[in-house]
Amino acid sequence: MVESLYNVENENPAIWVFLEHHDGVLEGVSLELLSRGRQLADVIGWELTGLLIGHQVASLAEEAIALGADRVILAEHPLLEHFTVNGYVHVAQQALLEYQPSIFLSGATPDGRDLAGRLAVRMRTGLNADCTDLRLDPKTGILICEVSGFGGGVLALIEMETHRPQMATVRPGVFVPGEADSGRAGSLVSLEFDLPPEIIQTRVVERVSGESLDLTQLPILVCGGRGIHGHFEWMYELANLLGGDVGATRPPVDEGHIERQRQIGSTGAICRPKVAICFGISGAFHFIVGIQEADMVIAINNDPKAEIFDHADYCIVGDTHEIVPALIQEIRDWKMEVGD
Amino acid sequence: MPQTQIILDDTTWEELLELTHGAAAVCFQCGVCTATCPWGLVREETLSVRSYMRAAQLGLHKNGNEDLWLCTTCAQCEAYCPRGVEIADVFRGLRYLAWKRNQPHHGLSTLLWSVYWNNNPWEQPPSQRANWAKDLAAPQFDPEKHEILYYVGCTASYDSRAQKVARALVKIFQAAGVSFGILGEDEPCCGEEVLSVGHKLYFREMAEKATKTLRERGVTQLVTTDPHSYDAFKNHYNDAIQPLHYTQYLAHLIDQGRLTPRSPIPNSQSLITFHDPCYLSRHNAEIEAPRKVLSAIPGVELVEMPNIADDTLCCGGGGGRMWLETEAGERFSDLRVEEALSTGARILATACPYCIACLEDSVKAKGIEDLAVMDVAEIVAKNIVESALHER
Amino acid sequence: MSTLHIVVCIKVVPKPEEIAVDQETMLLIRDGVRSEINPPDMNAIEMALKLKDQYGGRISILSMGPLFFADYLRAPLAMGADHIYLMSDRQFGGADTLATTYTLAAGIRKLGNVDLIFCGEESSDGATGQVPAGLAEWLGINQLTQMDEVVIDPKKKLARGRREIKGGHLTLETPFPVVISAKTACNEPRFMDYTIKPWAFEEGRITIWRREDLEVEDDHIGLSGSPTRVSGLKQAPGRSRQRKFLKGNPAEIANQLGKILQATS
Ligand SMILES: Cc1cc2nc3c(=O)[nH]c(=O)nc-3n(C[C@H](O)[C@H](O)[C@H](O)COP(=O)(O)OP(=O)(O)OC[C@H]3O[C@@H](n4cnc5c(N)ncnc54)[C@H](O)[C@@H]3O)c2cc1C
Ligand code: SF4
Ligand code: SF4
Repeated sequence: MVESLYNVENENPAIWVFLEHHDGVLEGVSLELLSRGRQLADVIGWELTGLLIGHQVASLAEEAIALGADRVILAEHPLLEHFTVNGYVHVAQQALLEYQPSIFLSGATPDGRDLAGRLAVRMRTGLNADCTDLRLDPKTGILICEVSGFGGGVLALIEMETHRPQMATVRPGVFVPGEADSGRAGSLVSLEFDLPPEIIQTRVVERVSGESLDLTQLPILVCGGRGIHGHFEWMYELANLLGGDVGATRPPVDEGHIERQRQIGSTGAICRPKVAICFGISGAFHFIVGIQEADMVIAINNDPKAEIFDHADYCIVGDTHEIVPALIQEIRDWKMEVGD
Repeated sequence: MPQTQIILDDTTWEELLELTHGAAAVCFQCGVCTATCPWGLVREETLSVRSYMRAAQLGLHKNGNEDLWLCTTCAQCEAYCPRGVEIADVFRGLRYLAWKRNQPHHGLSTLLWSVYWNNNPWEQPPSQRANWAKDLAAPQFDPEKHEILYYVGCTASYDSRAQKVARALVKIFQAAGVSFGILGEDEPCCGEEVLSVGHKLYFREMAEKATKTLRERGVTQLVTTDPHSYDAFKNHYNDAIQPLHYTQYLAHLIDQGRLTPRSPIPNSQSLITFHDPCYLSRHNAEIEAPRKVLSAIPGVELVEMPNIADDTLCCGGGGGRMWLETEAGERFSDLRVEEALSTGARILATACPYCIACLEDSVKAKGIEDLAVMDVAEIVAKNIVESALHER
Repeated sequence: MSTLHIVVCIKVVPKPEEIAVDQETMLLIRDGVRSEINPPDMNAIEMALKLKDQYGGRISILSMGPLFFADYLRAPLAMGADHIYLMSDRQFGGADTLATTYTLAAGIRKLGNVDLIFCGEESSDGATGQVPAGLAEWLGINQLTQMDEVVIDPKKKLARGRREIKGGHLTLETPFPVVISAKTACNEPRFMDYTIKPWAFEEGRITIWRREDLEVEDDHIGLSGSPTRVSGLKQAPGRSRQRKFLKGNPAEIANQLGKILQATS
């Protein structure tokens, strides 16, 4: 079999987390991985290390340490200001070869996947993609990755015996970020590396943040039907709190409460969110077609016989006018608690 | 929207001639079609049907033209055309040309792919086609044992509203002692929608495949839920499959005395008006059967709307329009429920899953409380079956 | 300027709702299961066809898998692709990401002179989203992943792609040759062209490549080239909805809902 560049014989007992960041902020999934990585490291008594690549990002190292890292390896360079797969893979490989950690984790985000996909081949090792759970065998140090296929229809456990590092990308949202403890101690190590400018072949032409409406790829879809009687301001508030966006059935669109691009259904958008929350929606087939691929559906309707309940995981018989404000309050409270 | 661009050449002309069997040749450009087309009722600038006929005569093809997909193939215009032009078929031919040039309306390729991968246009799992009948005693069709094949069709198989119609029909068949079977997961899509959006070649292929399946399963007589399937089998399949729309079949059963309505309809619901689906009345001249079935229920008083039979007003759901958004205010069904309301009827009956979807939507949108949209099968199941069952 | 040569790597996957696991052998049951082309791969094909519409050139479809894939691979040919290559051999079976990308790369090398390589962003059956990057690495070329839109300048041999990101977009540019992955549902794949469909469905349209047709090392392909192994496989409860009714006053219901949402976000 193809040999990895280092293997189980000469691995070091460490779990590495790729610290992804944009605009000076660590990605949510990196926080989640630090939290899970800490738990796994404690079980087996290994070290948790964050790999931080970028330009003028040292301050993020403190945050990573507060969130559980024992050590942060820092690689800074002006050419690393933006993520480019060539540049980051080049640097990450040098770090891996120097420290030879047993495990390397990154988020299954676009950048995380790009990095891990390439790095794994360069290291000649295996990679488990978009994992939904991670466990560690405390005796052998073997990482057991749970991956799901077929829209969650099949779950597989995958492991790797000799090749190193054990690599996995992890689906955002499966682990809960831990609490920051600014008193935690940890070390910061600068990586020595070379970075010939010509290896960076991808140019970031522009990075625009602003309005873009793509309901089909959202994690959380908050849908309002005729039964919310035009109160889309509630829908937007909820969606903002939950990090999602708003969709609607056809009638409120027809009545001018919301724009046509937000219509969900057979003649609207077909969406695949993690969660679709349906307020005051009867559950007509033409609408259901647009959310049937959702991982989870929650429905709120005051008619206990409403068809939507046949298509929902969680069903609430109640008046949207009472449930929505209560839910908004609830989520605000919980956001306050976690200090978001 | 892509720019409209006109192409004129001999090949297109020949192609169109072949695709439309020269149907437009006899058109003398009187414009009656444009004047009678229901788009004129909802739009300031109506669909210029006449100019499409002209385009077909000349072999003109307008690239990227959205209007091409407006036609619901309702055939209202055909009923009035002094030259007997098969106008809906000319539209289908023009649409095929658009397919050939890779310029179908957005969303319609997805529809065809769904038919290709899923055997239904609704992107529903093929393995779940018979789920609606799970708890019903609807056996697999066996030519030795069964009088008819009940051909359910895609919409009644998957659309929860239309499933109620399929269930009602099963109840009626059972009550009338009809021995019937279904094909379940193996039921082929009839391809009606593929034809409507103009993909004539794919439709041909589907029709051949479906014919083969039906032959292999020993089907000679089938009864459809949907007037669109009925029309496809009757007028667009080469094979001698004998389709009946279920209203026709129920009318037979009544004639034969196998289905006898006994329990009277409640007074509050006795006024019923019937909306003729285009594909029953205009395309297939079936006007009597549904009325006969309804009238057989004691107490039913049929009241007619101004536009009936040949002159029925399309619900707006044919010709692929179920997959394309029609702006509020431009929906024919809104006008239709106003008509129904004017008759004083409490039930707006019809016999097509698309009509039900469109009409029910309009009733709700207008906030009308005392007009129920029901399928003939549902009314019968409610009011005939129980009495028939009592006799057994 | 030489004509554009585009490769699209595609895969045939079972329809998700039909999938089942044999509890004894812990293998997926593939017999009698309806399949389809992996949906984002259809978007990749459409991306490639759009470029062909614009600039001409040819499109080769490359797939690795059992021979039954062949029936499904004709559809892209009928959509406008020019050649289909199916790498099919017992020895290729059981490949994980490392071995899969290695073998696909060998196929692409055999095709030679490739400008653009398209893939779907991920495949519905599991090996999610890592193939494009791995493939680019084996080939030592650039990558543009999860693209919603791609334009090229064939003269300068540059590809520019747009990726939707949270509340905005990112535009990247890179020289040929490049691996590009198409985001699921980023476009509407055209239906088959029925004037070419009969040709596409003729015998002999598909080139089958066996192990010996490719320059690969035995210990790099299939099961023996795959460092990872599956130690458990189970069928998750299907997509059928749970229909759990939550009870209580609005505040209590909001509390329960809050917990459910917290657990998923
Ligand atoms: C060709 C065609 C295409 C269509 N395409 C689409 C499409 O793409 N998308 C789409 O959505 N629809 C589409 N429709 C319309 C579709 O058939 C339904 O009419 C529509 O989805 C119903 O929307 P709704 O559930 O919001 O409204 P309704 O069916 O009126 O349901 C409102 C629900 O709200 C509940 N409710 C009322 N008040 C309250 C309250 N205070 N608290 C809690 N619950 C309350 C009621 O019990 C009811 O169940 C299409 C129809 C046609 C004919
Ligand atoms: S009504 Fe008939 S003859 Fe008159 S313009 Fe229309 S198609 Fe032609
Ligand atoms: S078939 Fe109906 S919609 Fe089409 S042009 Fe004629 S009247 Fe108009």
